[in-house]
Amino acid sequence: MDLYLPIAEVSVNAPLLVALGAAVGFISGLFGIGGGFLMTPVLVFLGIPPAVAVASEANHVAASSTSSVISYTRRKAVDFRMGGVLAAGGAIGSLVGVEVFRWLRLLGQADLVVSLSYLVFLGVIGGLMLMESLGSILRRRRGDAPAPRKDRRPPWLYGLPFKMRFPRSRLYISVIPPVLLGVFVGVLSAIMGVGGGFVLVPAMVYILRMPAAVVVGTSLFQIIITTSLTSVLQAGRNQTVDIVLATLLLIGGVLGAQLGARASSRFRAEELRALLAIIVLAVGLRMGLGLFFTPGEPFVLMAGNG
Amino acid sequence: MAELPPPLPAPPPAAVSAALTTTNVRVTSSFSGARIVLYGAVFDPTARASDVVVIVRGPDAPLRLARKTKVAGVWVNSRPVVFEGAPGFYMAASTRPLGQIASFSTLRKLGAGVDHLRINAPMEQRTETRYGVRDVVVSGLGADYLDWRRAVVRLKEAAGLYAADERGVTFVDKGLFRAQIELPASAPIGVYSAEILLFQDGQPVSRRIRGLTVEKAGTERTLYLLAHDRPWLYGFASVAIALAAGWGASVAFRRN
Repeated sequence: MDLYLPIAEVSVNAPLLVALGAAVGFISGLFGIGGGFLMTPVLVFLGIPPAVAVASEANHVAASSTSSVISYTRRKAVDFRMGGVLAAGGAIGSLVGVEVFRWLRLLGQADLVVSLSYLVFLGVIGGLMLMESLGSILRRRRGDAPAPRKDRRPPWLYGLPFKMRFPRSRLYISVIPPVLLGVFVGVLSAIMGVGGGFVLVPAMVYILRMPAAVVVGTSLFQIIITTSLTSVLQAGRNQTVDIVLATLLLIGGVLGAQLGARASSRFRAEELRALLAIIVLAVGLRMGLGLFFTPGEPFVLMAGNG
Repeated sequence: MAELPPPLPAPPPAAVSAALTTTNVRVTSSFSGARIVLYGAVFDPTARASDVVVIVRGPDAPLRLARKTKVAGVWVNSRPVVFEGAPGFYMAASTRPLGQIASFSTLRKLGAGVDHLRINAPMEQRTETRYGVRDVVVSGLGADYLDWRRAVVRLKEAAGLYAADERGVTFVDKGLFRAQIELPASAPIGVYSAEILLFQDGQPVSRRIRGLTVEKAGTERTLYLLAHDRPWLYGFASVAIALAAGWGASVAFRRN
């Protein structure tokens, strides 16, 4: 059943989009990430204009993150205070990101920046995560003791001013690193059409040293706030949110997220991380490597008004 | 003195007339393109060889084109060139290849055929005085201009928005012809014009213009207008739907 999208102005297959939403939602619930990094490239591949894909996807991520964050809240696995501080940074980042994206589109360089961001961020994070998780899988197979967790927190985290207590994360640190992290993720959210969980989760674990139990829930909580804001800003400033597209995706997305969250208890944490790392790496390479091949068509057509 | 027969009245000039089967295309949620048939007739008592050319133009919109260039091993878009007033849809259908119907300069004057379509890049142009001639238009794109122009046509053709059909106009009966206009789902919204030209001996002798509107209707129209007239309300509404759906799914699954 084909459906004409009012903002994207293309005709799409509605059941296909619901199914895609469900598949990405499942992955989202399974790994505790938004899943935007997977969905945005797929939408562009299906012929949705990139600007509309990025903006509408932020809406879909907000929905599937809400769907999974509620179960984390019940398990008391969300640090609302940390999430709030991250989201404050995220709000600034998203304001900046929407304007940067507007400017890049006018320059005609939006595609390049999006592809490069995918290659760099997904490539690096996927690579690191894969090495780390393969390492721990191998150690477990060989029967070695798990690598001692380096619990020495970096001293600069404590030297900075504006300290704040985060009881649920058992931290007493400066708010500067989480705010900066939030800003960075907010910019990514607006430019790449992602929630930013794939950056946020490792950063919370390795830089902020938050306890693993609260990381995913807190990341999802901050993603809801950032993507909701990005969505409103994209609609208000660029008129690029397609409500029909977003609704199709989120019907599948919220259901998939619930099923994914249930399935996640059946896998070991490091196996899940290795799987996620492979997906992240594959998407990054698929998006970025095209930049190095001679294009079949040397010209690109863009809308006149950017 | 034998009376001369009364002088023959000069034959009335040949004329063409045409009508579209649909003049208003409604883009609703089930829109997946449209096919419009154009019927027309040639009135010519002299029955000279006639050719018919049908040109359909969609609303003009500026567009930008960039060329990929290799910078430090990476393919990067060049600075985009703005083309003003390229039609959003263009179709030229004729009874014979256009080159056989009329001369290059006639086709160029009429803007008939994708090769003669007027697409200008005024930002790249400046006027200069050359060889004592004032106001000579010089394109900043230089000799590449044709490559850029061809690229616009090629990319639009690939998207189904530009088409040239050398045999697209067929005579179904003496003096009665038909042509078909295929609008893809991505056809722009707006006012289209269908120009019907009758050619005899390489010259356009009669011309008719028929209008066609492509407009959003129903829910599509409501949502589109809301997104553009009340963008902030629209944004908040879409986020509210997202959050409510997420919450709803969570509650529903908890009950199970």
